[in-house]
Amino acid sequence: MSELTVEAPQIATNAQGKPIAEVPDLAPGLKAISIAAAASALAACGGGGEDATSTSATGGVTAGTTPAVGGQTITLPAMGYAFPAPSTDEQAARFLLQAQFSASDAEIAAVRAEGYAGWLERQVAQPYGPTGWDWLNGQGYGDVLNTANFYDNSYPGDYMIWNQLMAAPDAMRKRMALALSEFFVVSLSGLNFSWRSHAMAHYWDTLAAHAFGNYRNLLEAVTLNVAMGYYLNTKGNKKADGKGSQPDENYAREVMQLFTIGLNQLNPDGTARTDGTGKKLDSYSASDVSNLAQVFTGYDVDQSQNVVTVIPQTGGGTRNVGNTAFARLPMVQTGNNHSTGAATFLGASVAANVPAKDALKIALDTLFNHPNTAPFFCRQMIQRLVTSNPSPAYVARVAAVFANNGAGVRGDLAYVFAAILRDDEARGPDGLSQPEFGKLREPMLRLVQWARTFGVTSALGSWKIGDLSNAGTQLGQSPLRSPSVFNFFRPGYVPPSTALSAGAVAPEFQLVNESSVGGYLNYMQGVILNGIYVNAPDRPNAPSTPPAPGGYDIKAPYTSELAMVTDAAALVQRLNKLMCAGQLSAATQTLIVSALNATAVTAASTDAVKRNRVCAAVLMVMASAEYLIQK
Amino acid sequence: MHLLDPDLHTRRAFLRRTGQLALTGTALPLALNLAAMGEAAAFNATDYKALVCVFLYGGNDYANTVVTYDDPSYNLYSTIRGGGAGQAAGGIALAKAALAPTLLNPTTPLAGGRQYALHPSMTGLAGLFNMGRAAVQLNVGPLVVPLTRKQYNSTDRTTNPRPPQLFSHNDQQSIWQSSSPEGSKIGWGGNIGDLALGSNGNSLFTCINVSGNAVFLSGDSALSYQVSTGGAVAINSVKNNVYGSAAVKAAMATLVQQSRTNLLENEYNRVTTRAVTAESQVTSALLANPATNPPFSSFPANNPLADQLRMVARLIAARSALGATRQVFMVSIGGFDLHDNLIAQQPTLLTRVSEAMTAFYNATATLGVADKVTAFTASDFGRTLASNGDGSDHGWGGHHLMVGGAVKGAAFYGTPPPVSVGDTRDSMGNYAPVDQWHVGQGRLLPSTSVDQYAATLARWFGVADSELAGILPNLSHFGAAAGRPDYPADLGFML
Repeated sequence: MSELTVEAPQIATNAQGKPIAEVPDLAPGLKAISIAAAASALAACGGGGEDATSTSATGGVTAGTTPAVGGQTITLPAMGYAFPAPSTDEQAARFLLQAQFSASDAEIAAVRAEGYAGWLERQVAQPYGPTGWDWLNGQGYGDVLNTANFYDNSYPGDYMIWNQLMAAPDAMRKRMALALSEFFVVSLSGLNFSWRSHAMAHYWDTLAAHAFGNYRNLLEAVTLNVAMGYYLNTKGNKKADGKGSQPDENYAREVMQLFTIGLNQLNPDGTARTDGTGKKLDSYSASDVSNLAQVFTGYDVDQSQNVVTVIPQTGGGTRNVGNTAFARLPMVQTGNNHSTGAATFLGASVAANVPAKDALKIALDTLFNHPNTAPFFCRQMIQRLVTSNPSPAYVARVAAVFANNGAGVRGDLAYVFAAILRDDEARGPDGLSQPEFGKLREPMLRLVQWARTFGVTSALGSWKIGDLSNAGTQLGQSPLRSPSVFNFFRPGYVPPSTALSAGAVAPEFQLVNESSVGGYLNYMQGVILNGIYVNAPDRPNAPSTPPAPGGYDIKAPYTSELAMVTDAAALVQRLNKLMCAGQLSAATQTLIVSALNATAVTAASTDAVKRNRVCAAVLMVMASAEYLIQK
Repeated sequence: MHLLDPDLHTRRAFLRRTGQLALTGTALPLALNLAAMGEAAAFNATDYKALVCVFLYGGNDYANTVVTYDDPSYNLYSTIRGGGAGQAAGGIALAKAALAPTLLNPTTPLAGGRQYALHPSMTGLAGLFNMGRAAVQLNVGPLVVPLTRKQYNSTDRTTNPRPPQLFSHNDQQSIWQSSSPEGSKIGWGGNIGDLALGSNGNSLFTCINVSGNAVFLSGDSALSYQVSTGGAVAINSVKNNVYGSAAVKAAMATLVQQSRTNLLENEYNRVTTRAVTAESQVTSALLANPATNPPFSSFPANNPLADQLRMVARLIAARSALGATRQVFMVSIGGFDLHDNLIAQQPTLLTRVSEAMTAFYNATATLGVADKVTAFTASDFGRTLASNGDGSDHGWGGHHLMVGGAVKGAAFYGTPPPVSVGDTRDSMGNYAPVDQWHVGQGRLLPSTSVDQYAATLARWFGVADSELAGILPNLSHFGAAAGRPDYPADLGFML
C-alpha cells in the first residue's frame, strides 16, 4: 500500500462557516475575489440571491444574479511530457476534441501557438460562465405563478443543460463537469419534487464550479447537495428509532462504491489487488456500509429562506408552493435525527455523540485519503476523456498527480485533468494505430460537437432541446438523465461476443444495439439538414405576439462549409480535420467525396442543393466508424 | 476458487475448442448438428417454446410483493414494518384487509398454516395463480453452495463460499443473469439460446431483447438481438436516397457496415450490419401482426413493460415468418430501488408488472401458445424486511413469479421463510430457527438458488441435463447427486 505523504488540504470556510472552493496557487488579489464569489455561488447566502417569488415576467434575473466565479491560476510543470505542443492542425484538433466539445480553426491556431500547457492554463483561468441556475431564471422558469407549473417539470432542466453544453463559453470546464456528472451521478429522471429543474441546475453548477477545484470540496458539496439528497436518500435520513428502523444505507453504499473507493482494493495504477490465489479483495464490507450510514443521518433541506406562494388550483382549493432557495442551499441538520451512536468504518472511528459536522469530516476525509480514491477516480476520468483502456502506467501517472499536484496538495482537479490531457499516451501517435485505443463517442457528445462546430444557435434564444433518451428514435442518451446512479454505462462493460482482448472494456458500447445505431442515424439525418424542431419556441418570459409558431428554432447555418461547397474534397477535408482530427482514412474520404460528386454543385446551384451537399458530407462523416471511435 | 469463472464452464470450453460458430448472426444451416462434433446434440425441436425473462431492476421489495398473510406471520411482519394497530397500514406495512382480494389459494395449502397474498395492485397475477397458470418461487437468490446463516458468517470462505459482491446492484444483476459479477459477457439465457440456434431458421432471432443491453441473452455464439417496442429500427439513410442522392445512400450503406481494423470500430459496424440485415425480415413479420389487432390491442396503455411484452407477443405470433422454434426473450422494468417512498411508489410498478404479464399471458392463450411460453420474474435482490423509515435497503433472497400454461400453478415452491429481523444465537453460534433464514435486518438467505430456478426453466425449454452443468456452473452443488436433496436440481414447477 503506498504511503500517503500529503495531508488533505484544510477546508477553508467563509464567514457563515460554509466550505468554499479550494483555490491553490492564486495571485492574492484574484484569490480574494474568487473566494467571496465562490462562497456566494455555492452557499447562496450572499449577493441577495434571486428574487424567487418575483411575479415579474422577466423573473427578476438582473436583481441578484449569481456572481461570477473567477478562474484559477495554475502553473503546469514544463517537463515530463514528450509532446508539449502540436506540430499539425490535426494534433491540435485531437487535443481539443478530448479537452472540450469541438475544434475550430481559431482554437486550433491558439493551441499551436500556446502549446498544450499554455492553452490549458488559460482555460482554467477563465471565469466560470453563466450558471444553469441563472439561465433558468433568465428564461423565466423561476416564475412560480406561470400556469405551466415549472416547479413540477423536468424539461427546464433539459433545456438548461443542452444550452450549457452547446453554448457556454467556458467549454473545457463544462466538458470536465460533464465527465464529473457521469461519476457523481444524479439523474433528472429520478427527481420528483418541487423545483427539481432548479435543483438539477444547481447540482450541475456545483460540478462546474468545482471542476478545477479540489476533489475533497467537491465530495462534500455533492454529499450535502439537495438534488443528491433526494436522489440517494440522504434527505430525511434518520437515525435508528429503536423500534427496528435503521438508517437508509443508500448514500453510504454508493459514495463508497461509485464516488470514491470502488468495490475492490486497487494498486496505485488502478489494477486490482489480489490475494495469493488471484482473487480480488473487497474494499469495504456490509458493516462499513451500515456504520457509515449513521454519518449521513439527520440531514434535510434548508427551508430557512423559504417563502410560500399560495396557488389557486383549477376546480377549487389551493396549493402551497415554496420558493427555489432550498434547492441551492446545502442540506442541514434538522430536528434531533442524527445518530448519536459510535461508528467504525474503513479503519476510522466516530465516537458516540460526535456532532454531525465532525462526523461528516471524519467520513469524507477517510474516503478522500483512501489509497483507492486516486486510481479509482482517475481511471474513470481517463475513460471519459481519452481512452476506454488506459495502460496501468497512464493511470498511475495521473493518480500520482491526484495524490500531489506538485505543490503538496492532494485532490487538485485542474492538475489532474491537465495530466490526463498532456500524458504521452493521450498525445502521442501510437494510439492512432493501436487496434484497441480510443473510445466510442457518446451520442450526446456527438450532437454537442455538431452544434458547436457548425454554429448552431436557437433563433429565439429558448434552446428547447428536450430529453433525447429514446434509443429507437433519438440519441438513446440525454445529459443528466442517466437511467440510474450507475451512469449510462459501467466502467467495466464488455460488449458480448466481442473480439476485444481479455480484460479490455468498452463502456460506451453499453448503449449500442440494433435499435440505437439506427435511432442515432435517423435522428441525425433530420437534425443535420433541418435542425431541431421546437413546438413553441418562445422564451417563457419573452413571448411573441402572437406566439411564435412551431419550427426549426435550432439549426446549423454551415456558413464556412457553404463557402467551400463546390469543392467536395476541400469540404470533406475540413470536416475530417474539425470533427475527426484527421482520423478519417484516405479511403473513407474518397468514398465520401465520390458520393458527393455524383450530384454536381456549382456556384449557380440553388441554396437547397448546396445545403444538401454539406449535410450529406456531415452525415456521412458522423456515420463513419472512424468518427464514432475517437482516438 | 473461481466457482463463478465462466472459463470453467464445460460448454464454453467445448465451443472454444471447436472454433466459434458464426458470430455475425446470419442464418446457420438448419442441419447444424452438434452431435457430429462429438458432443450431445442440441434439441431437434419440432414444436415451439419460448422463455421470457421479466427483470425488475433495482431490487424488488419481496415482503410487500408476496405478502405474508396468515395472522401470526402477518402480525410479525406488521410489527417489524411499523404497521398500525388492528392490522392497519402503517410505516411500510400494508393493511391486512387490503390483501384479501389478492389472497393466493394454492391447491395444496402450505404447511404450518402459512398463507401469502400478492400486493393489492396485482389482481391479474393473483387471478392467474388461483387459476393454476402462475406459481410463486419463494426465497430464491444467488448461491454458490447451500448455506446456513452460521456458514454465511463463517470466515472460511473456501468451505462456505458466497456469491461475490452481495448487495451491489450491478453485480447482483449480472450474477442473476450470468452467474458472474459485472464484466461478465455470457448469460444463461444466451447459453440456452446457443443450444437452440440450430433449431431456428435465422439464428439471430433466437435471443431477443426488448429492453436495454443486458448480459442475460448473450451466449457463446447466440447474440442478443435488440428490437424496440415499435419494431426493428430501419435505417433510412441505408434504405432510401439521402437528401435526394442515391450515391450517398450507397456510400452510407458501405460506411456503416464495412469491417474495420480498429476493434472498437469493427464492433460498432457489426451491430449496424446485424441491424440492417435483420430489419426487413422483422418488419414484414410484424406488419402481419400489427399492434392494433387483437390480442395485441388489449395490452394496457401507459405501461412501458406492457409495450415490451406486446412486442414479444407480436414476435411470437410471427414466429413462422421468423423461422423460430426456440426463443428466449428479455423485457424489463426499473424503479424498484425503493430506499424511500416504498408505499407510495411500489404500487405503480407492481400494477404495471401484473397488468403487463396478465395481458401477455392472455395474448399467448389467444394465439394458442399459452403452454408453450413461460414468463418468469427476476430482480437484483430482495430487500430488508426491516424499514429505514419509509423504505427498505438492499437484500438478497426474494420471491418470484412464473406464469404460463406449462407452469404447475396454484402452488408455492421453495420454503416459506420465517418472519424475523432478529439475531438470536446460542453460545455455540447457532441461530434460533426463526433467525436462520436471514442475514440481518430480514435480508433473506436464499433457500433456493438461481441455478436451480434457471435449471427448471431450461429443462422445460428442452435443455438436456448433461448440458445444464455447462450453463449453470454452481448447479452441481445442489440436488440429490450432490447430497443435497433439500435443494432439488429440478424445482418441479413446470409440467
